[in-house]
Amino acid sequence: MSKLREALEAGDFPLVAEIRPPKGVARDGWLAPVSSLQGKVKAFGVPDNEHARMRLSALVAAVLVKGAGGEPLLHLTCRDRNRLALESDLLGAAALGLENILVLSGDYVTLGDHPQAKPVYDADSVQLLQIARGLMEGSDSAGLPLEGNPNFYLGAALIPEAEPLGPQLLKFRKKVAAGAQFFVTSPIFDLERFRRFRETLGEQAVKILACVKVVGSEEVALAEQGQHRKAYSLPAAVLQKLAGKDSEEILLKGAEIAGQLLKHIRAEKLADGVYVQARGQSDLLARVLESAAG
Amino acid sequence: MIIAERKPFSEIKDAMAPYDKILIVGCGTCVTVCLAGGEKEVGLLAMQLKLALGLEGKHLEVGEITVERQCDLEFIQPLCGFITNYDAIISTACGVGVQFLASLYPKKPLFPGLNTTFLGVNEAMGFYTERCRACHNCYLGVTGGICPVTMCPKGLLNGPCGGNVQGKCEVDPARACAWCEIYEKLERQGRLEQIEKIQPLHPHDRSTNPGTVIHPAYRRRYDGHE
Repeated sequence: MSKLREALEAGDFPLVAEIRPPKGVARDGWLAPVSSLQGKVKAFGVPDNEHARMRLSALVAAVLVKGAGGEPLLHLTCRDRNRLALESDLLGAAALGLENILVLSGDYVTLGDHPQAKPVYDADSVQLLQIARGLMEGSDSAGLPLEGNPNFYLGAALIPEAEPLGPQLLKFRKKVAAGAQFFVTSPIFDLERFRRFRETLGEQAVKILACVKVVGSEEVALAEQGQHRKAYSLPAAVLQKLAGKDSEEILLKGAEIAGQLLKHIRAEKLADGVYVQARGQSDLLARVLESAAG
Repeated sequence: MIIAERKPFSEIKDAMAPYDKILIVGCGTCVTVCLAGGEKEVGLLAMQLKLALGLEGKHLEVGEITVERQCDLEFIQPLCGFITNYDAIISTACGVGVQFLASLYPKKPLFPGLNTTFLGVNEAMGFYTERCRACHNCYLGVTGGICPVTMCPKGLLNGPCGGNVQGKCEVDPARACAWCEIYEKLERQGRLEQIEKIQPLHPHDRSTNPGTVIHPAYRRRYDGHE
């Protein structure tokens, strides 16, 4: 059984650290967090061509994470595959012993590094959750029986700062109905706003991993110019702490801030666990955990 | 209507290099409205070609004709005798008209003068926006008259993605998120329950191309059954 699931269901407040599959086939470096954070995090998030930028196959990267001793949380986007490919990748993941799947629509191709590629979106994230649930119950999306059913722990995305919130909550309800068992939020920097969102959401049977992110200098610069266009905000208080620093210092301070956010989320029970985005760098991930412990 | 844009002039001019006498056939319907391939645009293209090639010391004879619709046999069949006098044809119809014309005159080299872009509306003179992807399975009754297949770049059927920022689309911040608009409209109409139900996977088999639609009356007349 998935250790991530066990920890979430036991109320152990698990941490998930995101790694970054390489653009290439290099084997060292990107897998380093798996050994350096062994025992400190429950699972490793493996993005799937994140931001529509082509990288090593997430499925293969997840298997490599597993081989290195970590439990992967495989991201699966609807952007690059039709229903046949999604289903066969899901079966492939299960056959390779991967259970945790984070289902996502996927950033649009024109935002990435292959802007002329054909976007697929044969299924949306709600439909993909239904597909995965159907596979678990023994049939594919065409209703045909499987020889051996996979088992998944299914996650989806949640956007606490969505404006308007109504359409996101509609999607949330549909994802739950389609079989999502846990959610990973977009990055949280504004705890007060997240607290209000949790009140709106109320008690839920599903588990929520709040995302904390180590913010980089590019994002800070955009926010300072009023050009930050993301599904989450960077509050003035955070920007103030990062003002006047060079890019290296921003990352170090950003890791500290992320650690403090993690600490508060845990202390105030604002989520069931935390998903840490720190550019897949061991040193930054370690710094986040240190800051959270302090 | 079908929206199209004229191809880059250099592409059209280069394609005409082997010929001395060409005919430009315009279309009087959609591409006339979107100012891309009607009578006026045919005239402009003819002039431009003659001038540009003239500057290179080449004489190109250019005939011009615009028919009501190139997607209708009734209007293109009469061109039959006329077309034989030319070395090549440029059609400034949409891709539909170009192909229909090409199929009628199989021996004649035929070139498109336009790039066909989408099915859209005439917002204002010179401003056209897409509305329909001809997906064979219209959702507009459920989604408040706003098409998620067309107006959402991802074609999501069950609500917005996580990328919209303050109701603006992840892909083009100048546009509203289609799903935020759908939600808002149905909320105003008190019909939100319509989109609470999970929409199943889209039946893409229906839109396997090339498509064919046979009207029941046609079937009755020629097949003897419906």
